[in-house]
Amino acid sequence: MTDIFQPIFVLLIFPGGLFALTFGLFLKGLDRKIAARLQRRVGPPVYQPFIDLVKLTKKEMVVPETAHLGGFRLAPLLGFAGMMAAVTLIPIAGVYQGFEHLGDSLVLLYLLALPALALMVAGSASSSPFGAIGFSREMVMMISYELPLLIVLVTVALKVGLATGEVATFSLHKIVQFQLQNGPFLFDYTMLPALVAFLIFIPGNMGVLPFDIPEAESEIVEGPILEYSGSGLALFNLVTSLKMVVVLGLGVALFFPTPLSESFLLNLIWFSLKCFVLMIISITLVRTTTGRLRIDQAFKFYLRWPTVLALVSLVLTLLHR
Amino acid sequence: MKNLLQKIVGRSPWLYRINAGSCNGCDVELATTACIPRFDVERLGCKYCGSPKHADIVLITGPLTVRVKEKVLRLYDEIPDPKVTVAIGVCPISAGVFRDSYAIAGPIDSFIPVDVNVPGCPPRPQAIIDGIVEAIKIWETRM
Repeated sequence: MTDIFQPIFVLLIFPGGLFALTFGLFLKGLDRKIAARLQRRVGPPVYQPFIDLVKLTKKEMVVPETAHLGGFRLAPLLGFAGMMAAVTLIPIAGVYQGFEHLGDSLVLLYLLALPALALMVAGSASSSPFGAIGFSREMVMMISYELPLLIVLVTVALKVGLATGEVATFSLHKIVQFQLQNGPFLFDYTMLPALVAFLIFIPGNMGVLPFDIPEAESEIVEGPILEYSGSGLALFNLVTSLKMVVVLGLGVALFFPTPLSESFLLNLIWFSLKCFVLMIISITLVRTTTGRLRIDQAFKFYLRWPTVLALVSLVLTLLHR
Repeated sequence: MKNLLQKIVGRSPWLYRINAGSCNGCDVELATTACIPRFDVERLGCKYCGSPKHADIVLITGPLTVRVKEKVLRLYDEIPDPKVTVAIGVCPISAGVFRDSYAIAGPIDSFIPVDVNVPGCPPRPQAIIDGIVEAIKIWETRM
């Protein structure tokens, strides 16, 4: 019986589902509060995203007459399902191993593409010209940030694989175990460029300020999610907060998974703290201090700096085996 | 239970601005001083949204010119219920300095139900935030 219940528990309660949703919304609230403090404002309370969620479910959902109904309804669910599955793949050292039966970091890479895909479907199904512009921009962004992420993942896989005698280890569990024995990659100079590349990848994937080009509010009025209201919009908000947990958790697992002690609860708090610090560095500070780039600038930026940094790490790893 | 829900929901009003032919004075007040950067309505849980579909509280500025009337009415219809309207500045009330012009279709409340008026040319940021707080109170009762 436990065999049946364990995946359900993992998917719906901990660490996926309920825990990840609460954690993600809480992170988002902290992000808004800290951003406000950095701009010398008071800012909303930390629990603001929860309130927004309750409010959105109470609002009427408007569906445009010209929209493709199936695509319009399914798009947020697509992103939500993908992220719910992706959370279960993230290992938390000392707490949770990662759901090995479902897949490794390559599966995670594909699942991470789903929210962007959901936005594209939403943008094109909503039949709004702004949605169409958002759709094409989202596609360009995806092409540009996916390549550095792939190289970072391959670098980490090669690093672990070459040391343990396999060619490349894509299993996140094994990557974490390797770092627990040989020290985290954060303190390994060959991995530092890859870490920087990953830090640059995060704002692009999360769609926050210098790279919020597909959802630019003041320019194309939030693009793909322009036509969504009520519970559809609430689902999209949940997708972004889940994606935040997935991306930050992946960063922690790849570069600094070291647990604090034997205690389950302490390790969980330690993991949350690491995610929080990573969020401040890569999301909050970046989005409060920069302005939006143009889509061609973002494309060139991603194909130049993070890709080169990740490649440097890859070469160093190959030379240093 | 309903009371609690009203209290919770009242903490998350999202704002949407409609410019109904305004001279931009009130819009500058709204966008740059009153709301987000200087006097911060985000502390009330407000957020500016770019899309009318996400809005709860509509801030209308300007006297409603003839050319913009149809578009404003259409935008207003696109905002999902429940919603509250706040008219910012003296123009929505009486067209202000543009009164008796051939180009004015307003006052706005002959086309759209206005809940709160914030007079002034332009109104002070504190007055605008006060108007938004009044609107939130009305909005809570409509949930």
